[in-house]
Amino acid sequence: MRGIVGVFSELDSTVDAITELKKLRVGDVTVYSPTPRHELDDVLRHGPSVVRRFTLIGALVGVTFGYWIPIWVSDYWPLVVGGKPIASWVPYTIIGFEVMVLIGSLATVAGLFINARIPRITQTVGYDPRFSDGSFGIWVECRPDEQETVRRVLTEKGAEEVHGER
Amino acid sequence: MTALAPDPVEEGRRPNIPSADVQLPAVANYTQVTDEILNTLKLTKAWFAGLAFSVFCLAIGGTAWMYQIYMGLGVAGYHPPVMWGVYIITFVFWVGIGHAGTLISAILYLFRAGFRTTIYRCAEAMTVFAVMTAGLFPILHLGRPWKFFWLIPYPNWRLIWPQFKSPLVWDVFAILTYLTVSATFLFIGLIPDLAVLRDRETNPVRKRIYGVLSFGWRNSDREWRHFARAYLFLAAFSTPLVLSVHSVVSFDFAMADVPGWHTTIFPPYFVAGAIFSGIGMVFTIIIPIRRWFKLKHYVTLNHLDAAAKLCLFTSLVVGCAYLTEFFIAWYSGSEVEQSYFMNRVFGQWWWAAWIMLTCNMILPMLLFSQKLRRNTTFLFTLSIFINLGMWYERFVIIVPSLSHEYEPWQWAPYAPSFVDWAILVGSFGWFSMWFLLFVKQLPVLAIAEIKEIVPPKFAHRVSRRSLDGHGETPGSVEPAEAH
Repeated sequence: MRGIVGVFSELDSTVDAITELKKLRVGDVTVYSPTPRHELDDVLRHGPSVVRRFTLIGALVGVTFGYWIPIWVSDYWPLVVGGKPIASWVPYTIIGFEVMVLIGSLATVAGLFINARIPRITQTVGYDPRFSDGSFGIWVECRPDEQETVRRVLTEKGAEEVHGER
Repeated sequence: MTALAPDPVEEGRRPNIPSADVQLPAVANYTQVTDEILNTLKLTKAWFAGLAFSVFCLAIGGTAWMYQIYMGLGVAGYHPPVMWGVYIITFVFWVGIGHAGTLISAILYLFRAGFRTTIYRCAEAMTVFAVMTAGLFPILHLGRPWKFFWLIPYPNWRLIWPQFKSPLVWDVFAILTYLTVSATFLFIGLIPDLAVLRDRETNPVRKRIYGVLSFGWRNSDREWRHFARAYLFLAAFSTPLVLSVHSVVSFDFAMADVPGWHTTIFPPYFVAGAIFSGIGMVFTIIIPIRRWFKLKHYVTLNHLDAAAKLCLFTSLVVGCAYLTEFFIAWYSGSEVEQSYFMNRVFGQWWWAAWIMLTCNMILPMLLFSQKLRRNTTFLFTLSIFINLGMWYERFVIIVPSLSHEYEPWQWAPYAPSFVDWAILVGSFGWFSMWFLLFVKQLPVLAIAEIKEIVPPKFAHRVSRRSLDGHGETPGSVEPAEAH
């Protein structure tokens, strides 16, 4: 893994640099920002996050399990009361709902971890602690022959600092 | 001509920025946010004194509990027919306190209410610690607390399972789910802030700990994209969850054929009361914090004003529920119900009922005054009355009903014992101990979210007039204002 890092203090300069890099189709661009910004989303043009699929699957598994366990317990140890069903769906909806929320939430977190690729053992390459404070950053993972172009674009667009990392 | 990013100030904020319409004029840039919020983590003598006092209160409660385990539940002041007392009152009280945290962090997030941004971290932490406190009380209430795990369904050699038609089992599911989801929601929101702590920390051991806790978070576009979606879904799950949890708690009462309990109004009545009491506790916590931690320019009077309006609204809902209860008792034609409600307000328990009505229904009416909504001394004082009033609300629901059931020969008094009061004090010690530990280890304000409402630096700025086609040539630029 080798590439160039550009540190920016202005948002619009960062957006310009990303636009230019996308236009030139050089390297793989990763953008760092202290807080999420729509301006960056717009220029990066990522598709919708797939975390929602994890949420949906988790919720469906949860609601199924949440209904299944009291129904199974009722059949396993029936308490026969005249005129009353052995397995009553009304109170079991509470269990179904709570387990749906529980498993759905945990699946959402799993979706976040898997898709955001965390936990991450190291964050040294391409990352600078200033990116969590007040600066924006662009890390371009690229071939050695593209590095000069990337450096030029980042510098021209207003990067405060540009350096190579590997 | 350089392609310019739209200026969020002039373009208007996008609807999915939850901080819309909130201004922090005294906050100039991202670094100021980081510096000022991290400054709150410095340990002070007053903090140590507060922590020591909390641990002392906790020790009082712990000692009382050990005494109760040794002597038996009889020392808790229960006498038939009043077999639910301070423990269940305090359980419902603490669960209720937790609800405002989820309202502020999740429901107001979905509603894009900007004022939540600077207060939600404290409220969310309050939720987790309040539910942790509440969860102790059903165990304290058990004669044999070491057998509480029997309520959890798991394959066991006894081949027995909990009764899923019992509200107490619903409680177990609701409270454990609420605790898990609230703690997850709090922790997920903390990850970007833990990365800030990691990057600022100079002590290698602490840096390592923050590095592990932040999961190697790097603020990359990939991480933010999935984080935003996951946070939204967690908020979407928490919203119905918070409504369900206190509804389930209310079923503990409403499912029983006891005067004053067996009514369909209980779920919305409990939820509104819970949110009202939680907002009261948010004021109790956030007003000293903004003063002692020098955060008045983050938690501004505008934020407190908006939260006070929410407090007023929930007070009106709670007041409406109180009056509806009286109306239904009269309209039902049931002598038992009518007698019970007369006894509640003019009989044996008049003093408790009037504390409840005064603190929860009458005093919050003062919030119609904008001047008072923006007076922090008033808000703090009112919040203490709300806390008191909401504890007494649960007292009024539980004790008068059990002490004044169908047959006059069943009627009996109830007086909490010193063990009850000691455990109540211990619960406040337990809650405040966790909260004090939290405020000095983790940021009390959400650093990343506050940066979202602080305008970033721009090299150039497009003027509104030029975009409208008035005056200047479209696309012309003017120098950025100094931030």
